Amino acid sequence: MNATVEIHALTKRFGRTTVLDHAGLRIGPGVTGLLGPNGAGKTTLLRCLATTLAPDGGRITALGLDPARREQRTALRRRLGYLPQDPGFYPHFTVFELLDYVAILKELTDRARRHRQVRRVLEEVELTDRARAKVRTLSGGMRQRLALAQALLADPELLVLDEPTVGLDPEQRMRFRALVSRLGEDRTVLLSTHQTEDVAALCDHVVVMAGGGVVFDGTPRGLAEVAAGKVWICDEPPAGAVLRWRTAEGRHRVVGERPAGAVPAEPAIEDGYLLLLGARAKAVA
Amino acid sequence: MSAVWHPPADLVRRYATGGLDPVQVMSVEAHIARCPRCRAAVPYEEEWLGAAWERIEDVVDRPRPGPGTRLLVRAGVPEHTARLLTATPSLTRAWLVAVTAVLAFAVVAARVTAGDPDVLLAFLVVAPVLPVAGIALAYGRPVDPAYELHAATPMAGTRLFLLRAVAVLSVAFALTGAATLLLPGPLGLSAAWLLPALTLGLALLALSGRLPPLLAGSLLAAGWFAVVLVCDGTLHDRFLPFHPASQPLYGGAVLALLVLIRLRHRRLILGERR
Repeated sequence: MNATVEIHALTKRFGRTTVLDHAGLRIGPGVTGLLGPNGAGKTTLLRCLATTLAPDGGRITALGLDPARREQRTALRRRLGYLPQDPGFYPHFTVFELLDYVAILKELTDRARRHRQVRRVLEEVELTDRARAKVRTLSGGMRQRLALAQALLADPELLVLDEPTVGLDPEQRMRFRALVSRLGEDRTVLLSTHQTEDVAALCDHVVVMAGGGVVFDGTPRGLAEVAAGKVWICDEPPAGAVLRWRTAEGRHRVVGERPAGAVPAEPAIEDGYLLLLGARAKAVA
Repeated sequence: MSAVWHPPADLVRRYATGGLDPVQVMSVEAHIARCPRCRAAVPYEEEWLGAAWERIEDVVDRPRPGPGTRLLVRAGVPEHTARLLTATPSLTRAWLVAVTAVLAFAVVAARVTAGDPDVLLAFLVVAPVLPVAGIALAYGRPVDPAYELHAATPMAGTRLFLLRAVAVLSVAFALTGAATLLLPGPLGLSAAWLLPALTLGLALLALSGRLPPLLAGSLLAAGWFAVVLVCDGTLHDRFLPFHPASQPLYGGAVLALLVLIRLRHRRLILGERR
């Protein structure tokens, strides 16, 4: 794989808590999904990659640049688009003003070129008709689209998106997928999500994190295959399964050892994901 | 049946190249305004038309800059820099109102009490802290709601911090300077806050390479108040920090800090990635 991002033995501690524990991965062009439960270290890893947080140990190389070196960090920021998990805004700014402001921070000093970029990204996220609205009047989904729009300013080669689909309704999520899929054709996109459907629909590469480290690095198909031969459908709820739940047909889908009388089922990404997390998964009725 | 007149191709070409007299221009324009076929036949340069539309769109869409931005642009500051300066978090209406209120209160109190030394002392002690507070509240995760959004941009770090510090210092010095002129009593004493303020402001810039600005500002303010208290309690001279004899010390400190900041100007924000 022609890697545009290489992360080696990345470590980060907050006080006594180790959030990243020698995490390592390689990402190439296209869309890579980062899956993991809360506290797995996804956001910390993305913040380190987006240069807003300095790791305690390990090494990052992105687009051939080392963000630990000041000059290279600035050079990387010129080619980076970042959507943080909790993007804060100046609520008294209008949508256009906020994007214009971020565009200036991205060194787009020529006003005509800057405004052209602002209009382009507004169109991309379908917020053109809200350009004059104050940020404080936007709904959660619109704010999320605004956060995505600012990440797209200045045509970044590397897009780091931390839970970009949070707050989007199903239609917006579909449009988002189309947009990210298009973006992934000629650049590197790394997105974290809790939605295995997003990964299945968008990503050609998936990384699963747990406990500050990478526990899976491969294709979505490979992640599903982790659960090959371990997904079953049965009529009675079995005891001792890693995970089970009742399907819409009133039967029980089981991930783990084969219960008596069960028939095998086709594994999906979420089966592999849940099996990987193993002990973290809880039985749900 | 009435025949509809359409301008001949040669006339349209001359219209497009500016080769018609005003009467002919009006006649052709009146026609092509209501005839889509002839309008489509007018030759045009696609790039030029796109740029023209863009200029029109820009005039219609672009937000009207606020009074601060307009003022700075009129003063010769580039438009993009003016927009960054006026977006400084601590230059919010609330901060400006608070600073103005504090200064107005000091001026009114000094005038009502006919130059009471205690009131003047309070003004002199508080005045150097105002720019420090402004700079401390200008940059950093705890004070800037959009910090995470712009921390990954190339302007983040020293450049943005210095821009904002300059903005805050300018406004704080202008307001405090105006208040100084309104105070009763000798101007020399009323303006004795100036060098301490500059010293504290520069010390904050220098310290921000070691500490987050908010913490550095708090420590400096606490240190300044401690110095004043020691002068009053131990040395029994409340005005010692503002004596003419003390001013060269501040002057020396200002020069030393300027050199230090120049040397460390690339590392002014250590805490930017913490």
